[in-house]
Amino acid sequence: MEIIKTKNLSKIYNDNALPVKALQDVNLIFEQGEFTAIVGPSGSGKTTFLNMIGGLDKPSSGEIHIHNTEITRLSDAKLIDFRLHNIGFVFQSYNLLPVLTAKENVSFIMLLQRVPAKWMDARALELLRQVGLEDKVDVKPAKLSGGQQQRVAVARALASKPRYVLADEPTANLDTASAMNLLDIMSRLNREEKATFIFSTHDQRVIDRARRVITLVDGKVAEDLKVKN
Amino acid sequence: MKILLIISWRNIWRNPKRTLVMVCAIAIGLWAALFIGGLMYGMIDQRFKTSIEQHISHIQMHHPDFLKDHAVEPGITNFQDLHNSLSKDAKIRAFSCRTLSNGMLATATLTRGIQINGIDPDEEAATTRLHERLTEGQYLNESKRNPVLVGKTLANKTRLREGSRLVLTFQNVKGELVSAAFRVAGIYQSAHTAYDEQNIYVLRSDLQEYLGAGNLIHEIALVCHDTEDIEKTHATYQETQPGLSIRTWYEISPELGFLQEFGQTMLIYILVIILMALAFGLVNTMLMSVYERIHELGMLMAVGMNKKRIFGMIMLETTFLTAIGAMAGMFSGIVTMRILHTSGLNLAAVGGDTLHEFGYPSLIYPNVENSYIFIMAVLVALTAFLTAIYPALQALKMKPVVAIRYE
Repeated sequence: MEIIKTKNLSKIYNDNALPVKALQDVNLIFEQGEFTAIVGPSGSGKTTFLNMIGGLDKPSSGEIHIHNTEITRLSDAKLIDFRLHNIGFVFQSYNLLPVLTAKENVSFIMLLQRVPAKWMDARALELLRQVGLEDKVDVKPAKLSGGQQQRVAVARALASKPRYVLADEPTANLDTASAMNLLDIMSRLNREEKATFIFSTHDQRVIDRARRVITLVDGKVAEDLKVKN
Repeated sequence: MKILLIISWRNIWRNPKRTLVMVCAIAIGLWAALFIGGLMYGMIDQRFKTSIEQHISHIQMHHPDFLKDHAVEPGITNFQDLHNSLSKDAKIRAFSCRTLSNGMLATATLTRGIQINGIDPDEEAATTRLHERLTEGQYLNESKRNPVLVGKTLANKTRLREGSRLVLTFQNVKGELVSAAFRVAGIYQSAHTAYDEQNIYVLRSDLQEYLGAGNLIHEIALVCHDTEDIEKTHATYQETQPGLSIRTWYEISPELGFLQEFGQTMLIYILVIILMALAFGLVNTMLMSVYERIHELGMLMAVGMNKKRIFGMIMLETTFLTAIGAMAGMFSGIVTMRILHTSGLNLAAVGGDTLHEFGYPSLIYPNVENSYIFIMAVLVALTAFLTAIYPALQALKMKPVVAIRYE
C-alpha cells in the first residue's frame, strides 16, 4: 500500500546570495512496510528530503501526499497534529526528554494523543520490552548508554502507531555493537509490527540491512535500488 | 495537562542552583515587601491609635467661637444637660470635660508658652488613660494643692522634677492676667514629643477657680465603644446640639486619615517596584532556560507537541518558579510579622527619639492587613503571568526544522 508519494518535489534555499537547490524534482513512492535507506554524500539533500516528508519543512514546489493527504497545504497547526498521529521520528542525537524516565518518554507521545492510560502503560511497557529495555523502565536518559537511549527513541517513535518512522542518521553516534543491536531491533519491528522505516544515513551497516536504497546526488534521485536481503 | 505539569515541574529542577537562586530572590523580595509593609502599617497604625487614644479621642465638642481664638469665653453652653446625655449614651465608652487655657509657664530657669488642660482625673483616665503614661511621680488628685502633670520633654528642657515648683500665668474671664504657683505631681510621656512639650495637666477645679468662671468647660473629648459608632454618635449630637462644633477625629486631624491612605499607597508602590525588579530576574531566568533547550523544544514540536502546549509548559514553569518563591517569601514574611507583632521591634537605637518627635512610638508592633497580603498575592500572580509571556513567545517563534539542528 502506497503511503508516501512525492511529485516534482523541489527545495531551494535562498538564505544566501546564491540560491541552493537542495532538492530538484524528486518523484518517489514509498509503500507500507518498507525498510529504506536514503544515502548520498553530504549536501546531497537527504536530510532536506526527510524534513519534507516528515512535515517539518515546506517545499519550494511540488507535492507530498501522505496516505491521501497533501501535507504541503496543511497549516502549521494542522501539520503538528498530522505529525503526531502519522509520523515517528528517530533523531541522530536521541533527543529524549531528560526529565522523564524511559517509560514516560515512550508514553509522552501517547499522552499527547490522549490515549487512555491503561492502553498507554501497556503499550509503553511492551515497546520497551521489544527494544530490550524492560529493566530500564524507570531510568532517566542520563543513566542510559547511547545505544539504550536510541532504543528508547525507537520505542517512542513507534508509540503513536505512526504510518512510518523517519530516522535521521540513527546510528551515527553509536558504536558497532549498539548500532547492530539497534538495527536488529528496527528490522524486527519492521517485520513484526509492519512498521515502515525510512533512514537517511552514511552508515554502511544501515545500508547493508536496507531492502531499498535510494541514492541522492545534488538533490536528485541518482539511483533507486530494491535489495533482496 | 498532567504530563505538562510533570514536565514543567521537573524542568525547573534541571538546574537546581539557578532555580534556588531565583526562588531565594523572589522569597527575599516578598519577605522584604511584607517586612516593610508590616513595619509601615505598624507605625501608621500605632501613630493613629496613639493620636486617637492619647490626644484627640473619637469626637470633640467645642463652642464654635472657642475654636476661633481659644478665648476664655465662651465655653460649652448647656453643659450640665449635655453631660447627662453623654453619661446615659450607651455608645460612649468615656468622655472627658476639659477647661483649657493658653498661658505661660515659668520656672527658675525658663519661661515658655503652653496649653493648660484642666481635667477631671477620673474622666481623663477613662478617656485617654493619661494615668498609664506617668514615668515619674503621681497622678493628679485632690489631696495636694495645685498639682500639675508635665510632659517629659518639657520637664527635661525646664529641669522640672517631681515636687518642683512652677508658676502659670494666664488670662481670667475678666481679661486680667492671673499667676498661680503649682507643684509637679508627676511627669508623663506620650508617643508625641511635641505634644508633651506643649501640654500640661492640672485639676479642672483649680483652673476654673483661677479663671473665675464657675463650671466653665471648653472641650469635651469622647471615645465610643466601637469605631463604627463614631459616625452615628457624631450625627446624633450634631442634631441635638446645633450650637456646638462637633467634630470627628478625621475632621480634627485630617492628616491622620491622609497618613493611612498615603501609607497604603506607598506600600503598593514599594511592592510594585520589588516585583518589577523580580520580574526582570524571572524573564532572564526563563529566557536562559528556553534558549538552553532550543534543540529539545524543536524535538517536542517535531514529534507533535502543539504550540498551545509548548506555551503552557513555559507558563507553568514560570508559575512554579514564582509560586515556590512567593510561598516561601510570604510564609516567612507572615511568620516574621507574627513574631514581631507579639514581641515588638524596638527602634530606639535607630532614631527612636526622632520618631517620638513625629508622634511615632519607638517600639513598633509590625502588622500587615489581610488585604495587603491579598493584593500581594494578586500582584505576584500577575507578575508571574506577564513575565512568562515573553519567554513563552520566544519558544513559539522557533521552527522545529531549525531548532532540531541547533547546537
